[in-house]
Amino acid sequence: MKSFEYGDREIGTAEVFFGVSNMVIGFWILTLPRSLATITNSSDGWMSIVLGGGASLAIGWLIASLCKRFPKMGLMEMTKSVANRATANVVAMLFACYTFLFVSYETRGLANIAKLYLFDRTPEEAICLFFLLVVAYGVAGSSAALLRLNLVFLPIVLLILLLVLAMNIPFLNLNNLKPMFVTDWKDLLKGTKDTVFSFLGFEVILFYNAWINRPQKVRRAVLGGLTIPFTLYLLVFFFVIGIFGSEVTKNTLYPTAELAKQVEIPGGFFERFESIFFTIWTITLFSTTAMAFDVTIIALRSLFPKTKRITWVIALCPIAYLAAMQPQSVTELDILGKWISYAAIAIGWGIPSLLLGAAMMRGVRGNGCAS
Amino acid sequence: MSETASEDKRGENYVFSDMQENIGHIRRMLGDPADLVIRIISIGGGERSCALVFLSGLSDKAVIDEQIVRQILKAGRIGQEDSGLEISEVLGGLRNETMSVSQVLEVNLWSDVIKAVLYGDTAMFLEGADDALLVGTQNWKERSIEEPPTEALVRGPREGFTEKIETNVGLIRRGIRDMNLRFVSYTIGRRSRKTLILTYIQGIIHPGIVEEARRRLDTIDIDDAPESGFIEQWIEDSFLSPFPQLLHTERPDKVRAALLQGKAVIMLEGTPFALILPTTFVALIQSPEDYYERWMIGSLIRLLRYFAVFIALFLPSVYIALVSFHPGMIPFKLAFSIAAAREGVPFPAVIEALLMEGTLELLREAGIRLPKPIGQTIGIVGGLVIGEAAVQAGVVSPIMVIVVAITAISSFAIPSYSAGISFRMLRFATMLAAAALGLFGIILTFIMISIHLVRLKSFGMPYSTPVAPMFTSDWRDLVVRSPVTFLTRRPQFMQTKNANRASKRGKRT
Repeated sequence: MKSFEYGDREIGTAEVFFGVSNMVIGFWILTLPRSLATITNSSDGWMSIVLGGGASLAIGWLIASLCKRFPKMGLMEMTKSVANRATANVVAMLFACYTFLFVSYETRGLANIAKLYLFDRTPEEAICLFFLLVVAYGVAGSSAALLRLNLVFLPIVLLILLLVLAMNIPFLNLNNLKPMFVTDWKDLLKGTKDTVFSFLGFEVILFYNAWINRPQKVRRAVLGGLTIPFTLYLLVFFFVIGIFGSEVTKNTLYPTAELAKQVEIPGGFFERFESIFFTIWTITLFSTTAMAFDVTIIALRSLFPKTKRITWVIALCPIAYLAAMQPQSVTELDILGKWISYAAIAIGWGIPSLLLGAAMMRGVRGNGCAS
Repeated sequence: MSETASEDKRGENYVFSDMQENIGHIRRMLGDPADLVIRIISIGGGERSCALVFLSGLSDKAVIDEQIVRQILKAGRIGQEDSGLEISEVLGGLRNETMSVSQVLEVNLWSDVIKAVLYGDTAMFLEGADDALLVGTQNWKERSIEEPPTEALVRGPREGFTEKIETNVGLIRRGIRDMNLRFVSYTIGRRSRKTLILTYIQGIIHPGIVEEARRRLDTIDIDDAPESGFIEQWIEDSFLSPFPQLLHTERPDKVRAALLQGKAVIMLEGTPFALILPTTFVALIQSPEDYYERWMIGSLIRLLRYFAVFIALFLPSVYIALVSFHPGMIPFKLAFSIAAAREGVPFPAVIEALLMEGTLELLREAGIRLPKPIGQTIGIVGGLVIGEAAVQAGVVSPIMVIVVAITAISSFAIPSYSAGISFRMLRFATMLAAAALGLFGIILTFIMISIHLVRLKSFGMPYSTPVAPMFTSDWRDLVVRSPVTFLTRRPQFMQTKNANRASKRGKRT
């Protein structure tokens, strides 16, 4: 150790683990039970979750392998060493666009739920504005600090979610789960697609790879980080179906938040627990949004190295705000979300897989790679 | 002056050989002040004479009378001109044989002489000698060692630092009799010339911290540092942060514990407040008593303090948010009684809260300024009477008074005074956010405070350790204070060179 510095340019294994979890947990967990209940019958959606989770674990393994193969390199440098500079620029630009749209989508989604559960009169425009301002403050600092923030936030988020589930145990009706195995495999696969959507986001680790200090542990960290949302999705799905039944779930906009509505705090300090639940849920939505925004800026700065981070923050915030204001209804927002997810699968999962394949065929490796 | 000095080959930066000229010079340099005492005595009643120069308020008269003047008067042969001794031998004799004082220095630079006299030492000029003797006679009326009023404990040593730095160094040494305890001294202040001491234990502390602390201390260049707060503000990492990045304390036991954890401590002459660096957020909430009491008590009290921090920061804003944005969240019966109590109140909840919080801050500030016996009375009168009258007059609701009172009590439960002030400041920010956006505003401020804490550093150490970055082994001393037999390692986040502070299974017998 040269000097007393906890480097701002270094990301440890715990940060990767918590970062991946917190990035994946976000908006989708609130709606996932509904979309699965719409497609599959009874409680069979769990098979879709297992399939989707398995697929994302596999992709997670691929992406982590790519990171491990090119230690201390961001996606841009990886692409450069596998293909060429032009390809790298295109990839970075694609990533920047997708993550940037993701920021707008998350912001608007948050405003929608906030309107539903917290406010009756405050306009969505104001909610989005203040949320984006806080995101801008978060992104203005170093990326390492942003990832470190997950160490504080994820435990709070997990705590509140597990609390909601634990308090719902008395309402659980196991008969709602029956019958099992009654869904066509085609529908299961359709459900898998929706599950896969809810696992998107962890590919941002490709950009943070440049600062990961222990590349040999990155695979374990990414897969470990993915198992947390995996478990949560399964748990939440079982609880939602077990409590509301398949039919009710189909017609509820945010079934997971409805779980919180059921909770009654012993002693009666507060009523309408869903407001508290959603308030705390804002934290994880913030982390997801901020990390996505951070990746946008990292990607753009790798294209234009001379521009300062703060310049990008100031320049992009108004655009993100305007983009977030575009969808006119929940349906339009859902369509935007779908398209972003397709883009994420193509850009975030497809490109790295191709890269890994190309790298293996050509035998390209990063510097200082042990094995 | 220049004429006489020019006779001396060494120039006027050096002590002259003529005693009268020396006396004249020092008089001119100091502007002939009233407290300058000059005493000319003949050595042992002989022909040789010498002059003693000191400042009456700073020097110990008893030592000068008994150990210097009397001894010189009694000195034998060396005072005679025909003793056959060289003038330097006479000076050496005076130094080694005559005076019974432990600290004597021989110097020839005027700057050293003036500095010593200003510190309270006595300068002695011997007729004919071009060296001066500096005799250690510093003495300063000192407050006795008392229990620090701002950091009282139920259980723990009843000693606190004083304004005298030698005493403070002694207090630390008395608790750590380790030869690796290091004291690096600095002179701070172009005019005040105060002593500042950086303390650490070599072999425990990470050398990077010492290096960084010394680098920052070296940059200090001011007229005067009246209090260690000046030093704190000069060397802190971020002046925009509401949080203190160096912890100040009056308790030697707290300082000793910090040193043994691998931290460094800065002490300044003239103030009982020592600075501990680096500091983390968690350290603001810990108190030495956590360790003196048994672990269950210590842990519970600590837990209570975390709760107090939460209340001090968020309770008024939660009240505002609930009353003005989410009345549905308040339990039905309570909602009725709140609504009934707020019936006649003409203001929205946020104005009500700001009014009461503002009054309370005023009372607190006034309580400090007032003479001690009145201060408490005013506190009670102000608190009770104003609260009662405000409710009676329908300016605020009784619930608001309860909220404000609980918040105030909670903010006093935080052991670090300056951290308490930070939370008070942030409380007003959260109140405004709650007034604008309700619970959503509160969570946004919480997120912003968290971002700030994670980003903040104190001497290269992240402020949010051991949570982020994570050091799970240090969590046994985070919220729960584990039994002392389990706390066998020094904090891992301090990256100490010596990791163990206790042997794992105790001493084998």
